[in-house]
Amino acid sequence: MPVLAPVLAAATTPAPPPPPYTGAYQPQGVDEIGLWKEMDEDERVLANSPVLIRDEALNAYVRGVLCATVGADRCKAARLYILRTPLFNANMAPNGTMRVFSGLLLRVRSEAELGAVLGHEFGHFEQRHSLAAFKAHRAGTDVLSWGAVLAGMLPYAQGAYSLRNMQISIYGRLSRFSRDQERDADLHGIGYLNGSALRPQAASVVWQNVMTEAERSAAARGQAHPRFDRIPFFASHPADAERAATMAALARPDAATRDDGAARYAAALAPWLPLFLDDQIKLNDFGASDYLIGMLGEHGATAPLWVARGDLYRARGYPRDLVSAAEFYANAIALDPNLPEAQRGLGLSLFKTGRRAEGAEALRRYLQLKPAAPDAAMIGMLVATAGQGQ
Amino acid sequence: MKKRARLVAAAMTLAALYPQPAAAQEHTAVKAGFALPANSGKTILVFRPAVRVGAQSTGGLFEPNGDWTDRARANLEAALAARQAALGNIVLAAPVAFGDDARLVEEYQALFGALSRAVIGYQFFRGNRLPTKKRENKAGVFDWSLGSGVSALPGAKDADYALFIYDKDAYGSTGRKILQIFAALGPGIPVKSGEHAGYAGLVDLRSGDVVWLNADLAMGGDVRTPEGAQKRIGQLLEDFPGSTAAPAAPAASTK
Amino acid sequence: MTRTRTATLALFAAAAPLFAMPAAAHGYREQGKPVAVAASTLVVIPNRDWNQLAGKPGKKAERWTLDGEQLDQVTFYGGIAPGEPLLRERDRKHRPLPKLTRETLLAEVPELLEATYRTDRAIASFTLHDARPERFLGTDGIRFAYEYVDDDNLPRRGEAHAALVKGQLYMATLDAPRLHYFDRVAPSYRALIDSATLR
Repeated sequence: MPVLAPVLAAATTPAPPPPPYTGAYQPQGVDEIGLWKEMDEDERVLANSPVLIRDEALNAYVRGVLCATVGADRCKAARLYILRTPLFNANMAPNGTMRVFSGLLLRVRSEAELGAVLGHEFGHFEQRHSLAAFKAHRAGTDVLSWGAVLAGMLPYAQGAYSLRNMQISIYGRLSRFSRDQERDADLHGIGYLNGSALRPQAASVVWQNVMTEAERSAAARGQAHPRFDRIPFFASHPADAERAATMAALARPDAATRDDGAARYAAALAPWLPLFLDDQIKLNDFGASDYLIGMLGEHGATAPLWVARGDLYRARGYPRDLVSAAEFYANAIALDPNLPEAQRGLGLSLFKTGRRAEGAEALRRYLQLKPAAPDAAMIGMLVATAGQGQ
Repeated sequence: MKKRARLVAAAMTLAALYPQPAAAQEHTAVKAGFALPANSGKTILVFRPAVRVGAQSTGGLFEPNGDWTDRARANLEAALAARQAALGNIVLAAPVAFGDDARLVEEYQALFGALSRAVIGYQFFRGNRLPTKKRENKAGVFDWSLGSGVSALPGAKDADYALFIYDKDAYGSTGRKILQIFAALGPGIPVKSGEHAGYAGLVDLRSGDVVWLNADLAMGGDVRTPEGAQKRIGQLLEDFPGSTAAPAAPAASTK
Repeated sequence: MTRTRTATLALFAAAAPLFAMPAAAHGYREQGKPVAVAASTLVVIPNRDWNQLAGKPGKKAERWTLDGEQLDQVTFYGGIAPGEPLLRERDRKHRPLPKLTRETLLAEVPELLEATYRTDRAIASFTLHDARPERFLGTDGIRFAYEYVDDDNLPRRGEAHAALVKGQLYMATLDAPRLHYFDRVAPSYRALIDSATLR
């Protein structure tokens, strides 16, 4: 580990707060100007994207967290877009376009944790890493050309999906940074947090959580090792334990008692949590989803979290899962008897385990609570047949 | 190593399965019965062409080049305007749209892209033609539409037709050209040096019918120069209804 | 660096069997001629001429189109058994698809389809609406509607009809861009549904 040594040594002192911001930066040279133009075209499409979450309150809140992290001056350089995409990811293009994925918002639990990731990305932006990474990787894509050419020859029916994967790899590569750049971004990201009112120790927590999630995902699928390279944010980010330790050391020790904004974060995300959880559960990644729900409920599970866990187990559907699912929904109902989704899940789970009369009772309550539910007619039918036996 | 061997094997299988020479591909069509006489005085709305120009490195990675893109856009727009004027039609740039209008334009451009790919894959590509399209082809039928909803596009009420243009250019680097030669000698795979794809379609702004489409995955003309852009527009607008001549279109259609 | 390259190669290798499918020509489904679909006893009578796309998306699935799958696709699922996914698993190890179970209720079929689409195609935004009982294949079934954004950034609408017969799932879906194509193809799709029977 000789390469790591200087970094570990350096990390025994907290990251310095960032220098005064020098203001908007303009691209220079053919490569950089080209990259910016491309990003501008992408942003045009992004701004009109059907997967964009346009809710003003949520956008203003996330932007507020970015500003609280990097400071008002720097914040002006970023144009923020929230995408409904259930992946742990965020990135910032050289022209100032910052993309925040809903999967990231689901995985952090406080303003400090969110600020840690956004600050890290802003660090890449401020240090102009994309350009350096682009130049460094230009020579490394020869293998991809084969795939792209072959896929291009195929009719859409057979070629589309593989080509799509190829394109994801190619574009993924553009935002893949070297380890040195990651360390640099860590240093800057935590430097912003050190200079903010938020708790910088959050950075290493996010890291550890996402690594654990990947391990649980792999374990539930019977794999020995997680595929960190399949998590976009991790694609090249070194996923080693030393890193989390380094990050912890970069945080100012006297800042450990600062507020991390967990309560404000929970309040702002509350209206979105059920949707984001549902998007995650339907990815059919049992290990990751189960870990996530547990992590989010570390300091006390809420009714929506119990519903999510019930949905997860009901979807996997082993007989023992159905019994567990019914329990989880019942826990949700104990916390919030008026949550329609909990009644629905409970009813369906009971139905599936043969307790049809009780199931019908819960489904009836679901219909009372949410008479305009999109599946009201279908559930109504189920209730009506409950008395008729199989 | 083993993986690379597998890759090459897969490539060879593919080459055997899809022996279609590039020449078996048609790339332009007009809706039956449609005519747009020269100097007809019709108004054509042009949506901001989606133009991307850059280099293609050995690995095929698209390297955007802002200067080229700017030049190409300006060249293409000038060439387009010049050509249309010669046809006697009025070319109107679509108004800059915001909010819902902008999203509608974006969605229609995405639909136009999907439609172009469907036409290329299932009607123009002889080896892959859908049975119903084979029959339509024999009967000279070209029946594709974006739907009458196009009349809600910003600027539509002031025009008769809309011209959608999509253009992507990647110029091969030296390394890419070497790969091309190597691939031809080795597994016999045609590796394109550079990518020059263009779709252009004329859409009736009342019915949404695509009255003319030119969709080509191998275009000529260096759009970074005014002359090249003229050639490209010539190709993109090859057989454009009302064309009296196709001044710069060396790549012949195989219709 | 090495790792990412290997990953890309592995990804390609995983997709290779897909490429190697025989390049059979697309099928012609003539108006008025009853035809069994999806390697099953599910029979439909085409109300107009249809194309059957070469290359099945699953062992018990089959895809039809009028204008190409970018613009409209009808997918038939013929007797999916408990333990089976709806579509062929492209990457069983890292992206396993959800499976039908013996306990799956008709009311849960929309969730099964949503999870399949999300997992299979990495679709980010998917919304289910309007699930209601409707007869299908002469038995109690479900009809539901949905909307999603595919990664060509084109919003699509979907409609599905499903029934469970002897524990096996029979289903048909229509997927098409919400602009123009869905409404254009829906009547033809529904005519196929009305004609569907189990032999």
